[in-house]
Amino acid sequence: MPTAARIAERAGYSVRSIFERFPDLSKLRVAAADYQLAQAAALAPPRHVDGDRPTRIRSHVETRAGTCERGVALWRVLIFSADQDPELKSRLATARQRTIERIEVMYRPELSTLPERERRNLLIALEAITDIESWARMRELYGLSFDESCAVWMRAIDRLLPPTPAT
Amino acid sequence: MEAYLALLRECQDIPTAAQIAARAGISTRLIFERFVDLQSLSLATADYAFAMAKSQAIVHDAEGERPARIRSHVETRAETCEGWLPLWRVLVANQARLPQLRTRLGIFRQAVMQRIELMYAPELGTLPALDRRDLLIALEALIDFESWARMREGHGLSREDACQVWIRMIDRLLPPTPQEARP
Repeated sequence: MPTAARIAERAGYSVRSIFERFPDLSKLRVAAADYQLAQAAALAPPRHVDGDRPTRIRSHVETRAGTCERGVALWRVLIFSADQDPELKSRLATARQRTIERIEVMYRPELSTLPERERRNLLIALEAITDIESWARMRELYGLSFDESCAVWMRAIDRLLPPTPAT
Repeated sequence: MEAYLALLRECQDIPTAAQIAARAGISTRLIFERFVDLQSLSLATADYAFAMAKSQAIVHDAEGERPARIRSHVETRAETCEGWLPLWRVLVANQARLPQLRTRLGIFRQAVMQRIELMYAPELGTLPALDRRDLLIALEALIDFESWARMREGHGLSREDACQVWIRMIDRLLPPTPQEARP
């Protein structure tokens, strides 16, 4: 986590001006999380919600990939700090909830064929597969390109989803 | 190193030399007689923790039928996640501050991959190289530490229920087991 001095230097402000706006660094972190959540929502609206299965999978994955590319650094801070900061924990929960809601929207036809427990289990698995750290690993550790990483997710999601109902 | 690990579990942050010394009942000077700096101690502790986790994650049923292999793998992995999540979070959060930690994380992940490759060798053996790589990546993501934490902390699943999620999803992701591998 950056210090107030580093943040001030990067922003071109004085440390004093940071603490005129935020009581402490914890509040600044929460504000940064809110900003990033808002940005993610604005930049990643659901697309092709009514498309065929391959189109929906591709659309979901590419949107999610874009969010992950932008959000890794802050996400790691949230994960690390959430236990000590209830406000950050709440932001983390919000981010996760939005991820799951997006999955529910994009794969509604397939999810609707499942009993409640199976549906829950599948949502959990899809969230895990498309986690930000999962993306970071593909890009940083395995050196996959953006498109290659998307392809990994698309194949895994297609394998996990039940058949699309005919209607 | 035991003191370091205990402090990590409690405080979720890299402890200071003074904190470690106090917990271990030794002087700060003694720490720096053994380790050049706190960074060296941090890395040594990460290596120690990894060795401990690895020794605890004994391989079972590697030659068994598919359901037995999946269950064995999942239960062993669950045990690791339950025990080492706090340390894992600290390592991930500090990898930018200590670049050598990133190397360690890569080694730890490689061990997870190797276990997956071992337990599902029959199924993975049926796949072309690219598909195999992609499936390994997906399986690793599914059984990541944070995936376990989400099920236990976020969704409130019991340990058995969380294992069941992984068991069912791994079974869905894996291709069919080849005939010659079936008992």
